[in-house]
Amino acid sequence: MIERLSSGQPRLDSILNGGLLRNASNLIIGVPGSGKTILSQQYVFHNATVERPALYLSTVTEPLDRILRYGETLDFFDPAAISERRVIFEDLGNALTDDGLGEVLRVFDGFLKEMRPGIVVIDSFKAFHAFAKNESDFRLFLYALSRRLTAGAVTSMWNAPYTREQAQDAAEFAVADAVISLDTKKTAEREVRVLQVLKLRGSGFQSGEHTYRISSAGLDVFPRLADAQDRSPYDLSTGRVSTGVAALDEMLGEGYWAGASTLVAGPSGVGKTLMGLHFVYAGARAGEPGILATFQENKTQLGRIVRSFGWSLDEKGVHILSRSLVDMYIDEWVYELLDLIEASGAKRIVIDSLPDLMTTAGDPVRFREWMFSLVQRCTRRGISLMMIVEVPELFELRRISEEGLSHLADNVILLQYMRDDSRLARTVTVLKTRAMHHQPLVRRYEITERGFELGEPAVRN
Amino acid sequence: MPDSEYDVKTSEQDSEAVYSIGAAAKMLDVPTSTLRAWEDRYGVVTPGRSHGSQRIYSRRQIEQLRFIKAQIDAGLSAADAHRLLSQDLQRGRMPALPAGHQVGIGPLVLIAERDRYAGDLAEYFLRTEGYDVCLALDARQATLLFQERSPDLVVIDLLISGGAGFRLCAEFSAKPGTVVLAVASIDSAHEALLAGAAAFLHKPLEPLTLVSTVRDLLGTSALTREMRRTQVTG
Repeated sequence: MIERLSSGQPRLDSILNGGLLRNASNLIIGVPGSGKTILSQQYVFHNATVERPALYLSTVTEPLDRILRYGETLDFFDPAAISERRVIFEDLGNALTDDGLGEVLRVFDGFLKEMRPGIVVIDSFKAFHAFAKNESDFRLFLYALSRRLTAGAVTSMWNAPYTREQAQDAAEFAVADAVISLDTKKTAEREVRVLQVLKLRGSGFQSGEHTYRISSAGLDVFPRLADAQDRSPYDLSTGRVSTGVAALDEMLGEGYWAGASTLVAGPSGVGKTLMGLHFVYAGARAGEPGILATFQENKTQLGRIVRSFGWSLDEKGVHILSRSLVDMYIDEWVYELLDLIEASGAKRIVIDSLPDLMTTAGDPVRFREWMFSLVQRCTRRGISLMMIVEVPELFELRRISEEGLSHLADNVILLQYMRDDSRLARTVTVLKTRAMHHQPLVRRYEITERGFELGEPAVRN
Repeated sequence: MPDSEYDVKTSEQDSEAVYSIGAAAKMLDVPTSTLRAWEDRYGVVTPGRSHGSQRIYSRRQIEQLRFIKAQIDAGLSAADAHRLLSQDLQRGRMPALPAGHQVGIGPLVLIAERDRYAGDLAEYFLRTEGYDVCLALDARQATLLFQERSPDLVVIDLLISGGAGFRLCAEFSAKPGTVVLAVASIDSAHEALLAGAAAFLHKPLEPLTLVSTVRDLLGTSALTREMRRTQVTG
């Protein structure tokens, strides 16, 4: 019977398999500035009640006034909670500096009886070490404090500015029921904040490093998209979806399978984005909402492009997710996408482009895992996914360098240039289709004001 | 685990400052303003102060205040009551309550709890709700107190003295008029009820849940029990 304490943020709760452990000791480690205080205050303000108030105890590292001054700038900091004594801030600093650890326990006994706190935050816990005569003295104190917290049915949070390595040697690590690490990770020139669960007694959790941001709304965590392979059966759509280009539909039989993923590869300027637009607009007009997720163009630039082919960004069922790559977290972005899928009921998604996403992921292994999860989620919900990949070679493409992602795609469409006397011609080839027959042809196409127009099979000179 | 300096010494518990003025007022049924006025005027019962300079009373001081209140109820002035207490204290004597005055105000609850911190907290929470409470930390002590004091309700930790709580449950609940509330940190509701407990609570005990469960279990019959006890002792 382990109940959970919600942070008020479903994504963070999902990492912890529902929330922090109730009536347990939760150690939160991280260097100064990593957000320990903010995180614990999120829990405090979200859960405190008059009957079981939250007690926030500062020790000697962080003066209470400073904690309060910064706390006030947070959205969830509710002054009414303090005046109604749902949230009580107290300073252990005096007890600690005057009379040491024994006095802390005596004062704490009084708090337990007087306030009946349901949550106790100790910030910083590490400060207690300096007041212990030796290691065994500290352990005795830790044991005595833990017994009191257990008897009082208290959910406690111990904030400590440990690094991960230091924490594993600290006595608190062994005693705590849960350990959460807040850290920064450097990839190339970028620094990202990462949250990781190091220990959670009696429960599973989402492993690995999850990126997060700190804002006045608190810690916004983006659980890393890493779904295990789901082998449970699901409804496989028997329907086909049009590519938006009649002749291409014909090459593919009747279009793509609904819920299939398609990789569109080709060099710069060959018409990959246009292919994506055809796909989204054909869907929107057939009553299947679609999302164009782009890192290349902003909405103004994109508006000009779609208008030149006679479409409009305001068309019903067309949704644009435009995001600059600057300081982008791949897992933050994916929740924007998933939220938009939810809100729009999208059945088609175009990602323009895959290499853009890859650069923000940092690590190719992580990217594959991420991409696999996204493709699986789309497939199982019957959402057709088109992923655009730019290739460097203008002619005679030898390989598609997308880190082995083409095996994730059900279909691979190749767009290429071809020298045709003094002209540069464009050609389309269906390289791969899963579970259907296709015409293995190289066909020329033109880009007109109506978009793609396919011509006859190309003959090489 | 041997006793360390971080443990509560049971012998010191009577003089340990634990009760807020609010809790004291509730237990004694005397307004906080009166308690403050007594302290200012007579200076006989002077509580300690917390770091936040809140008044904290010890159990002994509560007993002294109970004596004052009983004397006033019996017709003495507050000043005389304090003089009487002060004389008793100077002679190094615990003040005796006037004849006919019941020591326990509310129903008597025996807590048989293996964890002294949990026992201490449960005792505190029940006392501040007006219950008379005695605490046992092992099965032997629990049996002795049960026979001596005839509690109206017993809170038993099933895991006390290595699991003797189940036996105590059966023994105590067999005595007519006794209600047993079983508690344990493992889910033993079924076994507890089979052993005769009236209710089971999972530990750790939320203060409000404990108090309201005890109140529910004693219910309106608490009054008749109180009458019965008065008849027996009086």
